[in-house]
Amino acid sequence: MLEIDGLSVRFGGVTALDGVSLHVGARELVGLVGPNGAGKTTLFNAIAGTVRTQRGAVRFDGQDLSRRPAYARARHGIGRTFQIPQPMHALTVADNLTVAQRFGAGRVDPQALDELLALVGLADKGFADAATELSLTELKSLEVAKALATRPRLLLLDEVLAGLEAHGKRRFARMLAEIHQRLQLAIVVIEHDIETISALCPRVAVLDFGRLIADGTPDSVFADAAVIASYTGVAAHA
Amino acid sequence: MSAAAGTRIAWAVVLGLVLYAGVPYALAGNLYLMSMIVAALTIGGIALAWALLGNLGGLVSFGHAAFFGVGAYASALLVMKSGWPIAFAVVAGGVVAALSAVLVLPALRLRGPYFALAVLAYAHIFRIVATEWKGLTNGAGGLSNIPRFPVVAGYDFASKTGGYWIALSLVLAFVLVYWRVRESHYGTALRAMLHSEEATRAVGVNSTLLKAMMLFLSAFMTGVMGAFNAHYINFLEPDYAFSGLWTMLPIVAAIFGGYRTLFGPIVGAVVVYLVDQLVFKAVMPIGHQIVLGALLAAMILFSPGGLLPLLTRRPGRAQHA
Amino acid sequence: MTELVLGALWSGVLTGSSYALIALGLALVFGTMKVINLAHGDLVLLAAYVAYTCESALGVNPLLAIPVAIVVVCAAAVVTYALVSRIRRDRELNSLLLTYGIAVMLTNGALLLWKADIRSTKSPWLQDAIVFGPFYSMRSELLFFLVSIILMAGLWWWLTRTWAGRAVRAVSSNRDAARLMGIDPQRVELASFVVAGLLAAFAGVAVFSFGVIQPALGTSLTVKAFVITVLAGMGSVPGVLVGALLLGVTESLTTTFASSALQELAGMVLFLLVLFVLPNGLFGARRVGT
Repeated sequence: MLEIDGLSVRFGGVTALDGVSLHVGARELVGLVGPNGAGKTTLFNAIAGTVRTQRGAVRFDGQDLSRRPAYARARHGIGRTFQIPQPMHALTVADNLTVAQRFGAGRVDPQALDELLALVGLADKGFADAATELSLTELKSLEVAKALATRPRLLLLDEVLAGLEAHGKRRFARMLAEIHQRLQLAIVVIEHDIETISALCPRVAVLDFGRLIADGTPDSVFADAAVIASYTGVAAHA
Repeated sequence: MSAAAGTRIAWAVVLGLVLYAGVPYALAGNLYLMSMIVAALTIGGIALAWALLGNLGGLVSFGHAAFFGVGAYASALLVMKSGWPIAFAVVAGGVVAALSAVLVLPALRLRGPYFALAVLAYAHIFRIVATEWKGLTNGAGGLSNIPRFPVVAGYDFASKTGGYWIALSLVLAFVLVYWRVRESHYGTALRAMLHSEEATRAVGVNSTLLKAMMLFLSAFMTGVMGAFNAHYINFLEPDYAFSGLWTMLPIVAAIFGGYRTLFGPIVGAVVVYLVDQLVFKAVMPIGHQIVLGALLAAMILFSPGGLLPLLTRRPGRAQHA
Repeated sequence: MTELVLGALWSGVLTGSSYALIALGLALVFGTMKVINLAHGDLVLLAAYVAYTCESALGVNPLLAIPVAIVVVCAAAVVTYALVSRIRRDRELNSLLLTYGIAVMLTNGALLLWKADIRSTKSPWLQDAIVFGPFYSMRSELLFFLVSIILMAGLWWWLTRTWAGRAVRAVSSNRDAARLMGIDPQRVELASFVVAGLLAAFAGVAVFSFGVIQPALGTSLTVKAFVITVLAGMGSVPGVLVGALLLGVTESLTTTFASSALQELAGMVLFLLVLFVLPNGLFGARRVGT
């Protein structure tokens, strides 16, 4: 469903992504890992359309979206969250979802809105001010709900577990699994917590210095010498 | 219906009666005051359009005179050279003004202050074009004997009261449109865009298009007021039609009356314009608008939300105008 | 034909040098405070009227009015700075409105004090024509061309060789880093306003010496200065010089080959072209990200 073909992104002299090719199927749950600065968020930005690509293509359901602006890709079915939650200021939680529904999905569905709030655990926070009255966990939940409100077929989650303590992480991971199960969409998750990712995702891809260096089951990927070297900086001994 | 809704409708009816019947009756003899009020309403309409662009579009303009003049000339020329009926020409004036805003679109990608000044530059450009394109606009000589409003159902709308009714109706129509847009989903999205444009784009909002729409709407409203003014005073020349006063007075009016409210810009316009014309001008025939400049500076420093909201004790919100 | 072009180019360079003084002041203040002083053109106007007053009331050559103009305009600049620095929130927007209000006050103040009549210098010495070959100019134009070169050289020296100037550049490029290094941004901002006032004072006397002045000139000079900064691109000081010369030359070429009425339009069209085609200006740094 999602086809990334030889994607390259450069910022001035820095090559953030170097010829990355990746395929994500319609209902896959894929983890995306890699050391800091590997280009994970840049890859998301390139898929979602918030950053310009110098080479390569992004194809979604056979359609080439490479030149389409971010808002068009969101309407097309690519939802994404930001590493640092970006709620829509000056709006309530419910309004955040309403805007996402109206402009991302095409129509407002109050019942679906309530279900979404319940799904992410914000059922009683509908009228809270998104910018000032939410805790970090709630902000992250809103971030996910906002993306889901656009009825995406592909959901890109950028370090949605970061900053949460162990209990929060487990709860969130369970929520993500539930989302994947119930809504039957493709999800790509950027995460640093290898344990959680391995437990959650049947497939993991690894980026390092803008290149894809591994792609497979968590067990095979984390035993891969190149992957170990990228994290520890030393070649692994067999 | 609920009691609250009933009360509101009752108030609206009373207000309507006062505005449409009471005011003309009370001012029947005083044509001078009546024409002042019509001018104040004209400025109020522009002030509303300016505030709409700022509140919804997040864009501050220092060149709304550009749209005023374009609307004025477009309407006058359509009637004089192509024989259009005035009602259509006035609307067309607004449309042409909105189209001229297309030229301003590249300035949208400039940061805030740059956009504000870019529109100012456009006002200068349009003024010069109007002065030099003599074949179309008769240049500095101006257009005289612009057709007045017609007699409809036996009533002569070219009269001062007729002009008052038209201006009042236009302004109230604008308020209605502003209100509906603000309450719609577009209004919600626009509000979100002010602080979180990236987030709105990530959920499918075409923020650039929405901003452009607000620019067109604001330009349309201002152009209509310009067209109205052309047929009301029956004379146009470039320095008048594109005068900086059509930019300055609405800005002071909108901020004075309460930039963020629906009626604030209009009430502000009436107060500011009448006081300026009746009081300051009497004391200083030339240069009396120095007081308005001082007022604007003082408001920005001490009460960016406007003075009237302060008096009616509305809760203070964001501290910029 | 070549003579005409050369003459027009020369004339454009002369005018452009004064435009540069005006635009540099605007750019300096914008660099340090990120504020566009909409009253800047009116500061120039103020200096022009000071020169007029000195000439008409005291009968002295406008050049001698320069020290007076400097004092008056720098004082006005300091007052403007004091007011602008009082704005705490949404400075970008509120300062625009504030300086707009100040501009309205200054323009109308000029109207009040000096009426709407057009004024220009009566000094024959300044108006004397100086000609060599195809290059025709008024003595005042030549004089102020030299003055502006000296001033710009001085400004360059100040910005690159003195601590104060370097502090200005530091604050312009990274305010927080500058603060961390012990530079007081407020004093730097004040300095930039004063220097802008200084440049405006000279420009104002220049405009009075070889042009005509009336209260509406303030606004039109601000617009011209703004057009030049857009031409130059944000944050580029050498660009301002080039932009100013470009504007001056465009105007004089238009006057020579079309009509003087169209010269203002020519500058505006240049502005539009840059806006549509080169939004970062001729020298503007490409902004990465937002």
